[in-house]
Formats: sequence, structure tokens, C-alpha cells
Amino acid sequence: MRFLSSLSLAFKLVVVFSLIVASVAAAIGGAMVDRDRQHLREELRGKAFLLTRSVAVTAPEPLLRGDSWTLHKMLRQLTQGPDGAREPTLVTAIILDSEGRVLAHLYPALFPIGLPLLANDSPERPRLQAELAMRDSAVFDGQGFIEGVSPIQASGKNLGLVKVKLSTLELDRKTAEAIVSVLLLSIGIAMTGIVLGSIWSIRTLRPLRTLARSMEELGHGVLHPLPVSRGDEIGQLIVSFNRMADELEEKRKLARELAANEKVIALGRIAAGVAHEVNNPLAGMLNCLSTLRAKSNDPELVSRYLSMIEMGLKRIEALVKDLLVELRVEDAHEVVDHSCLEDVRDLIAAEIDPARIEFTWENRLEPGDTINRPRVQQILLNLLRNSIQAMPNGGHLWCRFWSDQDELVFEIEDTGHGILPEDVARIFDPFFTSRPTGTGLGLWIVLRLVQTMDGRIEVNSMPGQGTLFRIHIPREPKLATRPA
Amino acid sequence: MRGGGQLPARFESPVVPIAEFIVLEFFMRCGATILAMGVLLALGAANAADVPKSSIRFGLTAAVVRENLDLYERWAAYLGRKVDRPVQFVQRRTYREAMEMLETGEHDFAWICSFPYAKYRDSKIFGLMAVPVFEGKPLYRSYIIVHKDRSFRTIGDLEGRVFAYTDPDSNTGYIVPRYMLGDLERNPDSFFRHTFFTYSHTEAIEAVAERVADGAAVDSYVWEYLNRREPRLTAKTKVIQQSETFGFPPLVYRTNMDAELRARMTEVLLTMDKNPEGRALLAELMLDRFITAPSSLYDNVRLNLDRR
Repeated sequence: MRFLSSLSLAFKLVVVFSLIVASVAAAIGGAMVDRDRQHLREELRGKAFLLTRSVAVTAPEPLLRGDSWTLHKMLRQLTQGPDGAREPTLVTAIILDSEGRVLAHLYPALFPIGLPLLANDSPERPRLQAELAMRDSAVFDGQGFIEGVSPIQASGKNLGLVKVKLSTLELDRKTAEAIVSVLLLSIGIAMTGIVLGSIWSIRTLRPLRTLARSMEELGHGVLHPLPVSRGDEIGQLIVSFNRMADELEEKRKLARELAANEKVIALGRIAAGVAHEVNNPLAGMLNCLSTLRAKSNDPELVSRYLSMIEMGLKRIEALVKDLLVELRVEDAHEVVDHSCLEDVRDLIAAEIDPARIEFTWENRLEPGDTINRPRVQQILLNLLRNSIQAMPNGGHLWCRFWSDQDELVFEIEDTGHGILPEDVARIFDPFFTSRPTGTGLGLWIVLRLVQTMDGRIEVNSMPGQGTLFRIHIPREPKLATRPA
Repeated sequence: MRGGGQLPARFESPVVPIAEFIVLEFFMRCGATILAMGVLLALGAANAADVPKSSIRFGLTAAVVRENLDLYERWAAYLGRKVDRPVQFVQRRTYREAMEMLETGEHDFAWICSFPYAKYRDSKIFGLMAVPVFEGKPLYRSYIIVHKDRSFRTIGDLEGRVFAYTDPDSNTGYIVPRYMLGDLERNPDSFFRHTFFTYSHTEAIEAVAERVADGAAVDSYVWEYLNRREPRLTAKTKVIQQSETFGFPPLVYRTNMDAELRARMTEVLLTMDKNPEGRALLAELMLDRFITAPSSLYDNVRLNLDRR
């Protein structure tokens, strides 16, 4: 069925219609052959009847006289066909006396005169007995023959019996030939129908296939308007397709413009955020500077204010660094085997105090699972560092990676302080942070990187108990085919 | 036996009027018939005007060659020219019928069988005109034939079998085989399982060839004639026994016919071998010539009368 359903519609329709036509032809032919056969059989029955009667009518006289030779000649005459050729259908002819003894037989050597036709214990004997008692002529159908049986009567008394057997083999052979002819004809009709129909439907449906190909290309973003060369349903379809493709293109253009606008807006928001974040420490630092200028001889105050200025500058530095990281990694593209994740493990292991934090690493990715190294490494590093910072008093940190048919899954779980429910919706916003020293860009970077890979992020957090991030990323080959 | 073409037997009424023809029975055996002779010429010129030039009817019986009608027509034409009167051969199915025609005067001449001749030669109904000479002698015999594939060696082996007789008045086709059985001290009426008459030597041979009959008794002249001219039938048969010889079936004349015509016809027949055309006809008939013979030639046929 699968094979059938995958065949071209054009071919299937043609085959089905051709087979229907051929079946009808075969059925009609078969009916005609059958009718012919019935007719010929009736004729043969009539012939058997006439031949038998003709002998039975003339037989009494020679039979009464015991003139076997004349009886034999009567039977022999039956073998002469219309053109002097031997009658082709005659199988045998017999004249029996009233006791079932042979008086004449077409094959006297096999059935000698004067001997019973059948032995007394022959299984056919009862039937012969019944035939000998018959008062009227009859025609019987047998396997491969038709037999006329006629009593020879004189003065109302049965003197004997004539049996003439005609072969139906010729009839059956003709019937078989006719059946073969009908079948061949039907097959011929089917084949011709399939060939001609296929040619016609291929020509007719060629525009549809072009249309199907164009639609597939359209799915990949390639657009060719199709030439409209016909006015039928297919022509209308092409017109509609062209209109749809135009509209689709319009929409795409619009979407591209929107995306560009969004980027501009996003950039604007980032710029505003950066300005805001930079502006806060700047204001403090400027205050410190003017105070220092006024009270530069107070060594305690100078030292305190200088360190405040330093703190403000470091904050600005961190902000800039994170922004640079994001810009660098977002466009990075380096697809390699997942073993590169071991670098992340080593890096994190070096950053934590094993006495305080228990670090469990379970990498169950399969050989051949590939990842975009810079992006995934950056995602994991950001999440792991967040987790470490969420556990100032120690705890447990898990890394679990695995894959299934469609995607790779990265899971980071900690036993840190968790996220307040009201904050969960905002953690991926840029510059949102719950730490005084945080830039608020770490999770924003994670989100952006996951989005560039068509992935998604799940967050599960209970304040005071811990947080779980689970990232699903479609398999790399898909990523590789995505337009950059 | 010899005789011209025969009517297809199957179209003929097979029933023979029997009772009245006892007298004629002796003729039947021979089968052949003849024709009538020209009468007119024999009469004097004074009588010529009084005698109508009607055709002479020559009776033939159980024929030799049914396919050879043409030969008999040419022979009739030959005889007719010689006696100056049209001659017509008339085929009769049975010997009995031919004999009756002779007695009633419908036929002037006939070629009959040796047995009817021997039986009725003293009745004065007819006289012996000429005897054919076959292979140097005016003699023939009876052949007992069987199918060539069968292993019967004498007529005695045919007990309980089917036997084909030619004609109840045939010497070689009926009388001889029956006395042969009598010589074996068997009753010919019960010896065979079944018997039938074919009324023709040719058809008796045919019955054996087609194995309708297991055996038959036939005229040696007919068998030899067919064997040489048309061996299709005889090739399927073989001769397993031969009888003694008998006088060849004679050509006879009706006693009370015109003497002149009789003399002329006799002359024509006896001199056929002197005439090129006559010789050619004789050759076709496979006969040497016609001769005169004493009726004692048929004495041993006469004996069969008592032996049968």
C-alpha cells in the first residue's frame, strides 16, 4: 500500500481507468464467448439429435433382417462430413439390440458384433438399461461429448438403440481460443490505455509538478513566478500560486524589516541600559572626585574615595567585557564533537572549592553528537558561574548532558538560594541582577545564544532550595543548514 | 460376381421379394451380368421393319468394381455397335433379382453366378452362352479371407466369430464356406456367432478390411481383380484358405429370345479377343477371352447343392 500510495497520481489514475476499461472489455468479451459457446453447444445437441434420429428411423428394417452390414454402413455414413471430409465431431456411433448387444459399431474391431456393449457388472450398465427402455429420443451432455440416444422402434416395440456421441473438444478448443483472444485484447487495451494515458497525463500534469517543485522551493525561500500558459483549472491554480508567492514575498520582506527594526530597538535598549549602568557609577565617581579636590589633605578620606572610584570603574569594565563576550560569541560558529565540553568541566573545577561545593559531571552524549563549541561553552560557563555564586555557603552542583533523536539536552542544577517567583519572568532581561556586583547580562547572553540555535530554556526554581536550568538544542546538522 | 458398378446399397430397398423366384435362384451365384445382344441384325431384312430397335438389357449382379461404371458403359457401347442395337447393363442387387428379370423376359442376357446356373441349368429357362477365361482357365474358386493382422489360419479357427457372406445364392460367397464347415462336421448355422450378407464380394472384402466381420468368403476373381487394380481394401486382408476350382460364372441367354440376336451376341462375345478394342476391354476386365464350354463344367458346383 505504501508503494502504491507513493506512485504518481497521474500514473495511478491512468492505470485504474485502463484496468476498468479492460475489465469491462473482458467481461463483455467473456459474456459473448459464453453465449457463442451455448449457441454452438445447442447446435451440436441438435446435430446429435438429428444424426441419432436419422439412423433410428431407417434402422428397423435392416435390424429385423439381421443385416449388420447395412447397419454398419449407416453408421459409417455418419462419419462423412459435409464436404466429403471426415465429420470432425463424431466420436462414436453404436447400434445395440434390445439386450444391449452390439449390432453395429463405428469401431467394430473394439466392439465386435453380437457381444454385449458393457459387461453385466459394468458401473454404466444401469444407465444403459435405462436407455434401452427409453421411448423417446434424448440428448445427454457428458464430459467432453454430447450423446444422442434414440430407440429403434417398430410397431411400438423397442427393437434396439442408437447412440451417437459427438465431441465437444473442438467446441471447447474454440471457446478456449476465444477466451485467450478476449484476454489478450483486454490486456492490449489495458497496456495501450496505460501507455497513451500516461503520456497524456504526464503532459497534462507537468505544470502541476512544476508547481509542486516551485512550492517546495518556496519553502526554502526561492521564488520563481510560473508562466501561465493555459486557462483551465491548472492555469487558475498557477495564477493563484503566483499571487500567493507574491504575497508571501511581501510578508517576508515585511518580517525582515520588522526584525531589522527590532534589532535597532534592541540595540537602542541596550545602549540606553549601558548608558544608565555607566551613568550610575559615573555620577558617584564625579562626586568623589569633587570631594577629593576639596578635601585632598584628608588621607583617610582620599583612600576611601579612591577605592570607591576604583569600584565604579571596575563595574564599567565588567559591563564592557560582558558586552564584548556577547558580541564575539553570538556570531561564532564552530561545530565540533561534544568532547570539548571537558574544557568547561576543568575550568569550573578549578574555580570551586571542592570542600564547599560538590561537583557532579554526567556527560551521556553519544559519540557523534556535535555541538557549536563557542556558544555552548559560553552558555554552560554562564549558568555554572551563576550557580556557584548562588551557593556562597556551599552545596551541590550537577551537570547532566544527554541526547535523543532530535535534540541535545543540557541540565544544570544547584542547591543555591533559588529565584524569587516574581523575579523568574525577568531573569533573562538585560541588566537585571539580584547581585550587587552583577552586570545583569549573563542570563541575557545565555538566552540570546540559545535562541540563535533555535533552542529553548526551561527554568525550575524554589527559593532557598535550588534552581534547575534545562536547555534543549536541536541537533547540529539542522543548525548547520540554517542560513547564518 | 463381375458386374458393373453397383448402386449404393444403402439407398436401396434391402427387402427382396423372395417367394416367387425360387426358380431363378440358381442364377444368383454368379453375380455378373451381361447385356443383351443386338437382335435386329440377326433378323432378315424382311423382318427388320417389324422389330423395334429397342435396347437390349443385360443383367449384372454382385459387382466386381463399383468404381468402374465407365468400363461397363464402354463395354455396353462396344457390344451395341457389334449387334447394331443399344445395349444396356442393368445392375441388380441380388442374384435372385437378376434371375427373376431373366425369367420374366425383362433381361435378355445375364452374367450370373455358377451356383444358380448349376441349380437351374435343366430348367430350360436359359442357356449357356459364354464362359470367361480367367488366368488361362474358365475357372475360379472361393477365398476365405481374414484381416491381415489376425492369426486365423483356416475357416475352422473362426468359430464363434462374425462371418460375412456375399449372397445366399453365391457359390463362393455362401455355398462353399458352408460346405467347408460341413466337411469339418460342424453345423454352419451355429458355428459363427453372427453372420450377415453384403450382397457384393467387394463389400464382403470391405467388411473384413474394416473388421466388421472376422472372416468372409469371396470370389477369387473379385479379390484378385481388386488386389491388382485397387489394392486399398485387399491389402488389409489375407487369403487363409482356398476352395477347389469351379466353373467361372457364365454369361447366359434367355431361352425364348430371338435366335438371331442370341447367335450374334454369342459371336461378338466369343470373338472379342480378336478385336483390338475387345482385347482392351478384356484386359480391363482382367479376362483372357470368352469361350464356349459344356455345362458339365459346373458339375462340381451342382455337387455343392447336395453338400451344403
